Amino acid sequence: MTEATITVLPAAPLFAFEIWSNPVEAAQRFGAAFGARLPASGSSLQLADLLLIRYEPTVWLAEGNIGGLAEILGTDGSLTAIGGGIVRVRLSGTGWRSLLMAGGVFDAEAPSFAAGSSAATLIDHVGVRLYVESDDACLAYVPLSYAHDLVHFWELAAKSLV
Amino acid sequence: MSGPHRSGERGTIRFTFDGKALLARPGDTLAAALLANGIGLVARSFKYHRPRGILTAGAEEPSALVTVGTAGRSEPNTRATDLYVYDGMVARSQNRWPSLSWDVGSLLGLVAKALPAGFYYKTFFGSAKRWMFYEWFIRRAAGLGDAPVAADPDRFAQRAAFCDVLVVGAGPAGLSAALAAAEAGERVMLVEQDRILAPSLVRDPQDLDPVWAEATATRIAALGGRILLRTTAGGYWDDNLITLNQHLTEPGAAPPDGVAQRLWHVRAKRVVLATGALERPLAFAHNDRPGVMLSQSVRTYLRRFGVVPGRRVVIATNNDDAYLTAAALRAVGAEVVAVLDSRPAPAGASSGFSVHNETLPFATKGARHHLREVNARIDGKIVRWQADLLAMSGGFTPVVHLHMQAGGAALDWDEASQAFLPGTARQNVESIGATASGTAVGPVLAAENPGKAFIDFQNDVPLGDVDLAWAEGYRSVEHLKRYTTLGMATDQGKTSNMAALGRLAEKQGVAIPEAGLTTFRPPYTPVTMGLLAGRNERDAGAHLRRLALYDLHQAESPIWQPLGYWKRPRAYPRGAETLAEAALREARSVRTAVGMTDVSTLAKFEISGPDAAALLELICATTVAKLAVGRGRYTFMLREDGLVFDDGTVWRLGEDRYLLTSSTGGADRMATHISYVRQYLCPQFNVSAVNVQEHYAGIAVAGPSAKAVLAGLFGEVPPRHMSTVPATIAGLPVIVLAASYSGERAFEIYAEASHAEPVWHACQSAVTRQGGCLYGMEAMEFLRIEKGHLVVGGEIDGRLTPHDLALGGMLNKAGGYIGEAGLTRPALSQPERKQLVGLAAIAGTIPEGGMLVPAEGGPAQGHVTAAAFRVLEGGAIALGQLTGGIARHGEELVATSPTRGQSARVRVVAPHFYDMPGDRYRD
Repeated sequence: MTEATITVLPAAPLFAFEIWSNPVEAAQRFGAAFGARLPASGSSLQLADLLLIRYEPTVWLAEGNIGGLAEILGTDGSLTAIGGGIVRVRLSGTGWRSLLMAGGVFDAEAPSFAAGSSAATLIDHVGVRLYVESDDACLAYVPLSYAHDLVHFWELAAKSLV
Repeated sequence: MSGPHRSGERGTIRFTFDGKALLARPGDTLAAALLANGIGLVARSFKYHRPRGILTAGAEEPSALVTVGTAGRSEPNTRATDLYVYDGMVARSQNRWPSLSWDVGSLLGLVAKALPAGFYYKTFFGSAKRWMFYEWFIRRAAGLGDAPVAADPDRFAQRAAFCDVLVVGAGPAGLSAALAAAEAGERVMLVEQDRILAPSLVRDPQDLDPVWAEATATRIAALGGRILLRTTAGGYWDDNLITLNQHLTEPGAAPPDGVAQRLWHVRAKRVVLATGALERPLAFAHNDRPGVMLSQSVRTYLRRFGVVPGRRVVIATNNDDAYLTAAALRAVGAEVVAVLDSRPAPAGASSGFSVHNETLPFATKGARHHLREVNARIDGKIVRWQADLLAMSGGFTPVVHLHMQAGGAALDWDEASQAFLPGTARQNVESIGATASGTAVGPVLAAENPGKAFIDFQNDVPLGDVDLAWAEGYRSVEHLKRYTTLGMATDQGKTSNMAALGRLAEKQGVAIPEAGLTTFRPPYTPVTMGLLAGRNERDAGAHLRRLALYDLHQAESPIWQPLGYWKRPRAYPRGAETLAEAALREARSVRTAVGMTDVSTLAKFEISGPDAAALLELICATTVAKLAVGRGRYTFMLREDGLVFDDGTVWRLGEDRYLLTSSTGGADRMATHISYVRQYLCPQFNVSAVNVQEHYAGIAVAGPSAKAVLAGLFGEVPPRHMSTVPATIAGLPVIVLAASYSGERAFEIYAEASHAEPVWHACQSAVTRQGGCLYGMEAMEFLRIEKGHLVVGGEIDGRLTPHDLALGGMLNKAGGYIGEAGLTRPALSQPERKQLVGLAAIAGTIPEGGMLVPAEGGPAQGHVTAAAFRVLEGGAIALGQLTGGIARHGEELVATSPTRGQSARVRVVAPHFYDMPGDRYRD
């Protein structure tokens, strides 16, 4: 049976991590500090207490402990707090992919949209960012003002998944 | 003769038709169930109210239209052949009064000769008032079912899907294609508009065992393919986007989970069309009576539904397929009394039936629910057969609608089948099976009485109308279509177009393809509007945007006001206060004590980096770089044409960190503009421009006591006007901006939206202690109009320059801002341009949006952008745009709104009615 559970998560510190100059050097500093490469477009990096999701060519969404990021950026970029305006919604269960197809325009059912993948898309005209946590769950970052209605939309859609 | 009937079990499903309780078997269409109950008369035609029965067994049905369901679920013009009976179904016939059997409108049939094609154009001319008179009668004389008045209680879902191969049509060809693709490892979707797989195999089991279809579908599903039944591919759009209409429940029925239908947007890499072919009627006099059916449909009713549509049958055909019907009828005991075959002998000679070659029915005569007689001219004499059913076949038209919608060199003519076949496609689409191959047919013989020989059954268009249109000079098929309305009914001419094209070609003396072809447009079958609208719980088709502090406002029972997609408090009435009373009280509180409002919706952008000031000096037309840290200023933005499109404030929060605010309504536009400037005009800048509109909730505290409120909140002297400080309120970090939109000393407090509630509570307590109150948008409007502050969408409407708005003095004298060059255009300096003015009423209330004229009836010289009352002194005031307005202060005009019947004499004044020097901003 296809089912999906919609869970609104508590507010979390979220930041726009932007590199505007010397991207190679900034990436090297990041690699040296975290032992990992900055994630490419459509993907993410999950460290112990930091999640980085690339959602624009020069911008990553940073969630969690951002300690050290400002130093890595130096004068090559900036960190801007954005978490106050974003609601994290976890879509879980066997039907989360189907749920994202309701009112959607993005192929969330593609096998390539696997754990660790990310996307920025529209769901029922609302701009959201997606991060695949696992085969069974996906995080949606929803604008706060739309969250109530979009969650309601998902709750209704979850009743008739195909 | 008994007409249509069914032996054996009557069924267990209860339904009503025109109030009569009937029974159906599971799987019956309404058409099948009606025939099983001996009912052949099911509808009245659109124009002449002719008795109509069931012509087909599929979605192409032109005649058997009914209304099904009640109240909000009522659905008119539903094809009885495409509607499955469910327990409790309520179906009604349409366009008849007082009853289907005795319809007064059928009297129109007696004067049908006076109502030919173009009747309206020739008769109902004159003034518009006359048309209103005519229309009353026309609406009642002709038409289809009534649209429901009540709201539809069900929901309509929309969903996207992606696949490698979309196969449309689950007949033998479609199933085979889908299986091949699935076995090749492709993501497959297979859709079928019927409720069952391969319905043609049930009709003609000699072709392939229907069990094969189930086995094939099982295999496709096991390979991961998605199969949707009761789903119609209705539209083929660019880039292989196909829209599907999936019935989750039958029309009029309550869906188990609330969703009645689902609209699929399918993006396919490749599309396979296995949509089959539609049988064509033959044109002869009274070919539209109940009891005249398409030949293959007769087989469908016999074999799929166990219904025998007639016991004494005449077959009329121009092809071999109809002989299968004759055989099927004979197999169930019906008597085939004659086969009229338009082809010359020996066609049909070996069939074992009484075949009359080169013969077309001349006419029929009918009883209420079936035929009584079919006659034909044979060897110059009229020969009559007592028959209750005429099964006809005029050949087959491949369903090429989707192929044509896909574009390209659409269709190729096939002479043997007298049909258009799919040609080269512009998109990655392939047609297979009956869609791509014709069935050989014989000639279509000319009807002897074209005035009664119908080709478009739904719009009551006989061959005679085509002849009339030709005689009146309509040569193009497009003109013919519009003059006769042929093919323009809800069935989109599925059964009529080829006959009409044939007649037109005959008149032109050319082959059919040379006569032209009209365009097939989506949807393939009618679609309920709710499906396109999507779910029915949104206002204006989109989600409402909620303030971060929505629940706190809701607890105050405000009057809500939609603003774009936002919902904002308009006023907080107390007791029995009206909106105006509440707003005036709130505004007076701001003028005399203090008020507090939610300004979270303002656009906000955090600009940081070494080039932040440079970026802002491109975006803003005022100076920015000279701002000291902790200071802010009013600013405005120009388009490249030099016209003002937004305004706001800019604040220097740190050495390389700024906060830019702009209007709520222009927030998305401003975000796009900043992104454009950042990424295209100056990608080399070391700067970050982040949209933080939703990150911060904003609270404005305004009034003479605002400073005291702020001082109490964070224990320090609040910043002076147009200064900013970071602070802590209720233990939370906030940014305090000393800015005013009311004309009073005021502050905007920005806190992280997800944690803003404690800040709001703290502010509200402090405001209350100072004798203040909450105020909403209505009071804000009073205050800002009185002070002469601008609003985007009102005074700033994208047509005025900074000079027109008296903002020229604030332009960055160093230049370099976007719009600087555009602003130098001579036309933008003309004295007769519209300019911002204030308007003070001499007498009357100023109508917002009204025209400004020199005297009643005079030419419009401008308009009122916003109207209000002086908050404390009373008296109507307004802001407006007036031609050459800045030089016209003191002039008297009339503000008038003829549509509302309102007008007021006004005096043109400066657009500042309150504290023009700005003393109240300062400590």
